[in-house]
Amino acid sequence: MVDPGLALAVFAGIVAVAAVVLWPRKGLVPRLVRVVRLTRRVRMEDALKHLHDLDYRGRYGTLDSVAGALGLRHGRVVDLVAQLEALELVQSKGQELGITEQGRAEARRVLRRHRLWERYLADRTSMAPVDWHDDAERREHTISAGRAEELSASMGHPVYDPHGDPIPTASGQLPPRTGLTIAALAPGQTATIVHLEDEPREVYERLVVAGLAPGARLQLVDATPERVRLIVDGAEHLLEPVVAANITVARVSLEELAAEITRTSLADLRPGESGVVQEIAPACPGPQRRRLLDLGLVPGTLVRAELRGAIAGPVAYDIRDALIALRREQAEMVRIERSPSTTSAEGT
Amino acid sequence: MTALDPCVGCGAHRDQALVQLGVSPDQWDYLVALAGNPNTGKSTVFNALTGLRQHTGNWPGKTVARAEGGFELEGHRVKLIDLPGTYSLQAGSADEEVARDFILFGQPDVTVVVVDATRLERNLNLVLQILEITPRVVVCLNLMDEARRHGIAIDTEVLARQLGVPVIPTVARSGQGITDLLSAVHGVATGATATSPYRIDRYPSEVETAVATLSEPIRDAFPRLPNVRWVALRLLNADSRVEVALRSGDLGSLGANPTVEPSATPGGGQAVAVAPVAEAILDRATALRWTLSPQFHDSLTKSLYDVAETIAAASSARGVRRVKFDLDRLFDRVFLGRWTAFPVMLALLTMVFWITISGANAPSQFLAWVLLDTVHPALKSMSLAVGIPVWIDGLLLDGVYLATAWVVSVMLPPMAIFFPLFTLLEDFGYLPRVAFNLDPLFHRVGAHGKQALTMCMGFGCNAAGVVATRIIDSPRERLIAIITNNFSLCNGRWPTQILIAAIFIGALVPAHLAGLVSALAVVSVALLGIGAMFFASWLLSNTGLQGEATTFSLELPPYRPPQIMRTLYTSLIDRTLIVLWRAVVFAAPAGAVIWLIANVQVGDASLASHAVRLMDPFGILIGLNGVILLAYVVAIPANEIVIPTVLMLTVLTLGLTGHGDSAGVMFELDSIGATGNLLRTGGWTLLTGVNLMLFSLLHNPCSTTLYTIYRETGSAKWTMVSALLPLAMGFTVCFLVAQVWRLVG
Repeated sequence: MVDPGLALAVFAGIVAVAAVVLWPRKGLVPRLVRVVRLTRRVRMEDALKHLHDLDYRGRYGTLDSVAGALGLRHGRVVDLVAQLEALELVQSKGQELGITEQGRAEARRVLRRHRLWERYLADRTSMAPVDWHDDAERREHTISAGRAEELSASMGHPVYDPHGDPIPTASGQLPPRTGLTIAALAPGQTATIVHLEDEPREVYERLVVAGLAPGARLQLVDATPERVRLIVDGAEHLLEPVVAANITVARVSLEELAAEITRTSLADLRPGESGVVQEIAPACPGPQRRRLLDLGLVPGTLVRAELRGAIAGPVAYDIRDALIALRREQAEMVRIERSPSTTSAEGT
Repeated sequence: MTALDPCVGCGAHRDQALVQLGVSPDQWDYLVALAGNPNTGKSTVFNALTGLRQHTGNWPGKTVARAEGGFELEGHRVKLIDLPGTYSLQAGSADEEVARDFILFGQPDVTVVVVDATRLERNLNLVLQILEITPRVVVCLNLMDEARRHGIAIDTEVLARQLGVPVIPTVARSGQGITDLLSAVHGVATGATATSPYRIDRYPSEVETAVATLSEPIRDAFPRLPNVRWVALRLLNADSRVEVALRSGDLGSLGANPTVEPSATPGGGQAVAVAPVAEAILDRATALRWTLSPQFHDSLTKSLYDVAETIAAASSARGVRRVKFDLDRLFDRVFLGRWTAFPVMLALLTMVFWITISGANAPSQFLAWVLLDTVHPALKSMSLAVGIPVWIDGLLLDGVYLATAWVVSVMLPPMAIFFPLFTLLEDFGYLPRVAFNLDPLFHRVGAHGKQALTMCMGFGCNAAGVVATRIIDSPRERLIAIITNNFSLCNGRWPTQILIAAIFIGALVPAHLAGLVSALAVVSVALLGIGAMFFASWLLSNTGLQGEATTFSLELPPYRPPQIMRTLYTSLIDRTLIVLWRAVVFAAPAGAVIWLIANVQVGDASLASHAVRLMDPFGILIGLNGVILLAYVVAIPANEIVIPTVLMLTVLTLGLTGHGDSAGVMFELDSIGATGNLLRTGGWTLLTGVNLMLFSLLHNPCSTTLYTIYRETGSAKWTMVSALLPLAMGFTVCFLVAQVWRLVG
């Protein structure tokens, strides 16, 4: 019989080795897989995307900016850019790197796949928003053109990705860039969020956690070099300027804004209280949104909170005479206006 | 194929479409579909119409349940297809897709929509959507008794006028109104009753413009298509199924006699003539889609509900609720109250288990006496008299027959009691409240509250628990429920647990406490299983199962008195048939294998002895032994035969005589003490007993469950995960317990 102490030690050793090798993202095997995937073609496509992005904003790239964006050594970048020039996808004017027509078309093909995939992740899966970009970064290189068309068709040929970026059409069209940054707003001015920059990841995470999403309405209270104060959908937020700089907005009038500023949701109703549905929050993803609508939570519907379970959790709401239980995170998606509590006609 | 005459065309194309949908076009005169929201009593209507002439299966290519049945109507044979209960037909989920596809492409002669009279508005949403697709609809206004109780009066004539189709009030559970329903169905099917279904003529303005623009070319291409505006709307929604039908020309056959030639077979054939016209229409649709705001879908649903509200208001009136209604509130206060909910839950569950165990005792013993102690020896002596060779006699009677009989006698009585009890609770309306109460716990590990229900079902039978996960309509949470169902200690494993606990754990305490202590030990193992289920759910939702969609909503139906007699009857028949089927299909071959490995000699010993010797080192390492491991390998088909196999193998490997009839014959001993002695002779210790209880909880699912998992998920990958995850956990736990035990003890 094996000595139990020895057996346990061997077991612990195996577990430790397995953890080091297989741990998601940080383990040896996932890292190896990532490196293997980073083929030359992938690097070229990433470089093109970077240059296209700058070009879209009316700027030029440099060898350093490409090195920074791709995380490569300077020497590697020189080779890469030389290859791209040889293929007439990129042209250099002294220090500046610009993109050619062909390069633009190629970059937009990759961008289309990237943004379509993000749209798919947002609408059809429950993947966390902060993970969309990374997943799409991988997929953009491996989705075939045919599959991209299928994907687009199955989602009704979406026009924007979940960050608010336009999705290039199959023929490579992109609308001209619109939108202002917060810096362009004066205190008191109102705007709708048009786009949230998804890199760097940490900054984007801050924006998502604060509940910001394209379509949300905001008002700038004031801005100092230390922090920016915003009211978004009725809630106040303090953001660092570097974080606020990643928000792109479009102006809307105060009247449009005033009509929307309640942030009461179904989740705020206690049993016995009622409200009238205003809308389902733009941030609510596809399948869940459809389900809520199908259950009758369309604008104008009177809803009453009825029952609460034994432990804090879902609440049952009277929606058009049916008792439907929703979790807090779903109830928060349904924006309402409180009604004065009425004793119902039934006299309960 | 040339342009078709309307009547001929309809038939030929419909037949092909029907075959694809899994319905054979012969043997009936009329095809009727049954649709409706969940919880409307649709299955009661189905049962009322078909009686016992029904069978269940799946829709082809999908794991969506389907029931079909038949009945006679004025001399015609009618086939009735029960569509899944859906809130809408927007084709967002598999259920909705199935229902929509059948109504659109299967073109039933009549679609009966079962509507809950107490929730008219919500139900009208679906009715209106169905009316957009087909004019041949009959509305079955069910649960009229409940409406009366709630003081709701519905003027069916006004409703029928507004909707443009017959509306028949029914109380399906008592059969009221069914004859009227049948004559309405007959009228619409034969064409005697004309319908003029309500069609939404005004969508929200932006949608209206787009629909009107797109409807023109569609009408030109398919002039006889009855629901042009609906098709236009679907194309604007980028509905892939409708697009495919447009391209292949099938869409034309829905209205018959199009100017564009339909293809010879759905999805293929002469697509050439269709192609340019279809592509032009699709391009137009794409262009129009860019003009619509991203949330136009919201406004569509709103306009449907606006219409539903208007119609409901015009045809119903609310009066004073009768006193009985307060009973619902009282129940809810008890079942959901902070201090009362869990005690009530535990009490009810304990009661169900207790009734099952004690109620099944006598029938199990009776069956054992009949099948094992009476029939088996009789068969043996018969075969001896006839002169059947020892090999065949052994294989068939001692192997196949014995295993099958064992499974039947152990499994049948508890299942026949457990499941009807469970169904009664469900009919009453209590089970959704359990899911409601426990959802926060499940949510924390990334699962769905309804998993509490499938987990409880799993205590009866894991395969039944897996099938029950269909109530979870969110794919990701459903998978979690399926994979972790095995951690519910099923009926087949209770005898093993009870016996081993009595032998090894009960023996540690004075005799008068033995029963109580061993019962507590079994309960702890069951609770451990629940803990393992939570752990595994957490593990799965944080690793492999992240990318799938999640929708949560839980409807709490009103409390309804359960139909005790009918439930007992149908549940009994269902369960009995399943057990018998399973016994034959899975346990019988297992019995053959068991007898063979014990009797086939290789070299100087039987296959079994060799296998035991091979597995012993690993077995002892993890605190079990080779006999147990081999028994579990051959007893994959059925947990019930583990103990008899263990005893047989122990006797075989030790070369003992005086037990069992001969080599390879499973047996059980009458006294716990005798069993204990035999096992201890085989080298079993307290550690072996404890680890066997743990392993019995944490090992791969039985083959019936694995087969069911494969059928429900359609994925070999997830079936493998379901098999290997518990096994890995079982090996690890047993290993750790054994080492720590030996270190300490």
